[in-house]
Amino acid sequence: MGVNEKFSAIRKGLLEFLVLQIISAEKVYVADILKQLSVTEFATQEGTLYPLLSRLRREGLLDYEWKESEAGPPRKYYELTAKGREQLRETLEYWGQINGTVKKLGQK
Amino acid sequence: MNKVITINLGGNAYQLEEGGYDALRAYLETATAKLQGNPDRDEILSDIELAIAEKFRALLASHKTVVGTKEVAAVLAQMGPIEAEPGEAAGTSASGAGATSGANRQKTAGEERAAGSGGPPRRLYRIYEGAMISGVCNGIAAYVNIDPTLVRIGFVLLTFFWGTGLLVYVVMAILVPEARSPEEKAAASGFPATAQEFIRRAREGYYEAMKGFPDRKARREWQRRFKQEMRAHADQWRYSWHSYWAEHAPIHPGMGFTLPFLSLLQGAATVLWICAIISLLATGAVFGLALPANVPVWVAALLLLIAYGILVGPLKFARRACYYSLGRPHWAWSLAFLLDAVVWLAVVAALLWLAFHYLPELRDAVHTLPSLAHQAADDIRTWWHGK
Repeated sequence: MGVNEKFSAIRKGLLEFLVLQIISAEKVYVADILKQLSVTEFATQEGTLYPLLSRLRREGLLDYEWKESEAGPPRKYYELTAKGREQLRETLEYWGQINGTVKKLGQK
Repeated sequence: MNKVITINLGGNAYQLEEGGYDALRAYLETATAKLQGNPDRDEILSDIELAIAEKFRALLASHKTVVGTKEVAAVLAQMGPIEAEPGEAAGTSASGAGATSGANRQKTAGEERAAGSGGPPRRLYRIYEGAMISGVCNGIAAYVNIDPTLVRIGFVLLTFFWGTGLLVYVVMAILVPEARSPEEKAAASGFPATAQEFIRRAREGYYEAMKGFPDRKARREWQRRFKQEMRAHADQWRYSWHSYWAEHAPIHPGMGFTLPFLSLLQGAATVLWICAIISLLATGAVFGLALPANVPVWVAALLLLIAYGILVGPLKFARRACYYSLGRPHWAWSLAFLLDAVVWLAVVAALLWLAFHYLPELRDAVHTLPSLAHQAADDIRTWWHGK
């Protein structure tokens, strides 16, 4: 089993926080999120992203507004709520801790 | 040469090759099944439709108006399979429809269509969408797969035989449960919930969809379902109006006690109306009031019907307001309904008792009923054998 497969569950779990992080920078719509993720190890598809976004919205971490697009139907632009920002801050802190632990352990 | 089917995605029309249409339909049905139990299912589905529509749009140009089968497949591959979120997985509902749609996930488009015609086991429910009174006829129509109007006519005809139709109707309205959840609604008509969802989505592409059917029989079946759907759609505004009431009505639990009086008034109006019609048909005059010359009887009957509607409309409205003023709890509604029904039955029984004791003609008529029934049965038997 390669590293790639071993980490598939972890990647899946992290996706939520990466999405929050992408949205925290600016108002984005789904194609933007997919594009930013596509060049990383976390490349994903609409089929995964839409259910995830709807759950995050239900948990009150993000919200969206409809905006007209220059061509085609209006799009949903997502942004973080205060609760979402708080959660992202906590996660990043925790992630820093984990990173530290990973580096520290096993060193003498 | 390939057949082309027009569909409606997110409010815009797209033309697909038939193979692509099948693939898209299978994709959306699978998505619907996977999102079973997700509270945001409809929203996610419409998001996904919009995303697919946007990808189709990018493929089309002024000289290219049809999306090919391969292109649809590519778009769907790009979309990726719908991932159910943890804790909201498909199959959490133990109902038959949920299990059916869950099983569909593994099948190809062709097999899925075959499964669709089988559907979940049918059950008799009352269907309130598109109902005239309580959805009994609508439910029977869905159960035996015929037009509800026929069932209604059947009941009216049966009512002429010593009120059998009315009696059966009342008993069924009380005993037969109402289809509330999507699974129950699916079981009521025998179409899987996903197929109903699909029909809802395809609704606006009616005429284009018609062209896609191979033979007359399939087309007729589609037409019939479409009509049913449209009828339900036309009732939608009434429905949302209902829920508006449910949310905004001022709450006075005591209002429940006015219910029986209102329904008695309505009942009295109905009895009066029936008597008027009978007297019109029998004597050509309404309670001794002769019709003006050159007014045909049917016009008078129509006028009576309109007058009845005007009289009963506000009563119905008031009853509904009463129900909603009870607030949300379901038991309060049941209690009010029970009270309503008990008072109703008591008064009807009292009236019958009075009539029975003070009208000798009625007593005689009741005594001759059994022999009348025998005679009718004999008549039918001789007619049957004579044929």
